[in-house]
Amino acid sequence: MRIYLDHNAGAPLRPAARDAMMRFIVGGGEGNPASVHFSGQRSRRFLEEARADVATLIGAPPRSIVFTSGGTESNNLAIFGAVHNATRPRIVTSTIEHSSIIAPVTELERRGFEVVRLVVDEDGRLHAQGNFNVIDQNTALVSLGWANSEMGALQDVRLFAQAAQSAGAVFHVDAAQAAGRIPMTVEESGCDLMSISAHKIGGPAGIGALYVRPGCTLAPLLLGGPQETGSRAGTPNLCGVVGFGAAAREVRTGLAAEQEHVARLSALLLRRLEASVPGLRLNGPRDTRIRNTLNLTFPGVLGETLLIALDLEGIEISMGSACAAGAVEPSHVLLAMGRSSSEARSSVRLSLGWSTTLEDVERAADIIPRVWRRVAAAEFLSEQSRAEPWP
Amino acid sequence: MNARVLVAMSGGVDSSVAAALLREQGYDVVGVAMRLAPEWPPGIRQRRSTCCSHDDFEDARRVAERLNFPFYVVDLRAEFRANVIGNFVSEYLNGRTPNPCVMCNREIKFDRLWQRAAALGADFVATGHYARIKRDEGGAFHLLRACDHAKDQSYFLFTLGQREMRRTLFPLGNLSKTQVRTLARGLGLANADKAESQEICFVADGNYAAFVSQNAQPAQIRAGSIRDSSGEELGRHNGIHHFTVGQRRGLGIASRAPLYVRTIDAETGDVTVGRRDELVSDGLLAGMVRLAHPETLSGEDIPIEAKIRYRHPALPAILRILPEARAQVRFLSGGPAVTPGQACVFYRGDEVVGGGIIEARLGR
Repeated sequence: MRIYLDHNAGAPLRPAARDAMMRFIVGGGEGNPASVHFSGQRSRRFLEEARADVATLIGAPPRSIVFTSGGTESNNLAIFGAVHNATRPRIVTSTIEHSSIIAPVTELERRGFEVVRLVVDEDGRLHAQGNFNVIDQNTALVSLGWANSEMGALQDVRLFAQAAQSAGAVFHVDAAQAAGRIPMTVEESGCDLMSISAHKIGGPAGIGALYVRPGCTLAPLLLGGPQETGSRAGTPNLCGVVGFGAAAREVRTGLAAEQEHVARLSALLLRRLEASVPGLRLNGPRDTRIRNTLNLTFPGVLGETLLIALDLEGIEISMGSACAAGAVEPSHVLLAMGRSSSEARSSVRLSLGWSTTLEDVERAADIIPRVWRRVAAAEFLSEQSRAEPWP
Repeated sequence: MNARVLVAMSGGVDSSVAAALLREQGYDVVGVAMRLAPEWPPGIRQRRSTCCSHDDFEDARRVAERLNFPFYVVDLRAEFRANVIGNFVSEYLNGRTPNPCVMCNREIKFDRLWQRAAALGADFVATGHYARIKRDEGGAFHLLRACDHAKDQSYFLFTLGQREMRRTLFPLGNLSKTQVRTLARGLGLANADKAESQEICFVADGNYAAFVSQNAQPAQIRAGSIRDSSGEELGRHNGIHHFTVGQRRGLGIASRAPLYVRTIDAETGDVTVGRRDELVSDGLLAGMVRLAHPETLSGEDIPIEAKIRYRHPALPAILRILPEARAQVRFLSGGPAVTPGQACVFYRGDEVVGGGIIEARLGR
């Protein structure tokens, strides 16, 4: 049995989501929700039920939910959509964002926007101090991740929401990693726009949503039909929507218990690893973080090699973000936290979730230190025995 | 448990078939593509077949998927830059013509990659090289030419010592290229008829001089004169790294008879040219000499066959071992142009008994 510790990349599909999707497909699955006929109406019911479930997960009114193809599209829609007609020249973001925020913001910078990237402390947290003065009447958009996917730090989004609100700027929060991991409502967060993603919470990949606060206007990325109240043309991915809704429902009803369980397993894994890997370092805040995420620097090894070695032993983890060819780059998040390039290269991410069991954690806690010792020994011995430079 | 072997996969047909053969033989195969060269400038990759491009990785990945073994990409760019590209550039700047494949095999494939292999619990590293490793009754390892002499790549592997050979597998050593392609087709590999990569993998357009210029400090570029054998200046050039001994084209000199580069002097910047017959040498002096089994090469004058460029045939010669890892090689009959920086590999029959890097030609 393989041990899957990569929930932040994509959680395994929850049985509840799988069953709901099966019911939808087996029940016909046909019918465009925009159609007038019975089948269309059936599909529309599935769509709107799921919308209500997803909305409830984040305490939002159903009408404010726009279904997208995933977190990346949600972030693109939020960022490009919010500044489409902006007369203000500035966008505020941070140095530790997901690539689907970095790339749109960089593109807008190329088109003439001024971009301010707030820096984080060595735990990866943003501080209000000195950061609020850039959020002013010149700021069109503030776009920040709530929980960081690589090391789990949670940001004080309410503080930034207040600053954005008093400056009259749009506040977008990427909650792809926070939704389903911490209790939240869009009201409390104070955001205008919130991205969420189905496969981070155990729904299928390829479906996400953007919360758009009523009254906040957004230019669409896709033009076409009037679907999703004009914010996203095209027939939505219905099967995905159904799975998303079912996953959201299960997360909402069991959130407290599940998160308590995951937090306990994650703390146990960290404790066991710290006891058997001398010099192991947890990156990110000890407390203000999503509890499922452990970003760890393993001394004396390349994270890339450790990741492959663990995969061959049946433990699936990840590191930074993969390049197109499938190699891994050192994490820009860790570099932004002041880690050296070599520390970043020695760091990997373990992320637990709904499917993680105590047995998984106990086996991982046995296997990981053993594999780490082998990798570290191979790297050390090889340095020792390397032939003299030639020429 | 089956022995685990890390197979270096380029996406080409050779390494793909090597992996397939090992899998058939029951090894626990782990495929690895090495990320070595810096990223290509956009648009260049399409122009010619190379290795370590994104498409090549995808080809390798498809083979691994088809044959159902795990496949990973490992990043060795820093090591490759430090040990292979750095050496390549400095050799050219010093008036020599390096062979980066020799250096890559020594430093990357059979050293740094082995380090990764050991970390992954592998017992062996395998590549798609055409060469053989034989273990004798006493337990010593010998590097032999491939059965397919036309494809033989033992020339690039002469630096492998006992330590490296013990943990290395060359599954294609007994096969011909035709057989390998047939096997690839039989396995349904999409790359069965893929063109061979020939040129140096990290120089995208084959323009070595431009690559060296881009990777050198301006102060390192050695401009100078082009002279004939009598020392008379025939013209000027803007860097000795534009030349290689034996080169005919691109000299920028008008002459009745074709002229060839005879010598390159990194001290003065002089490039001497001459007629073809002036290139002929009696032998060469090699440095950084490695001997596979020094104890078996006794005596003053050791008969060998010397191969001084990958595409040249091995020539009968007399080897004399000198102190400080040097050696003198004298051709039995007139030898061809000797290019400093290239490898001179010593053969006895099919066996590689040693080799070194050419430092100078021995004149007539």
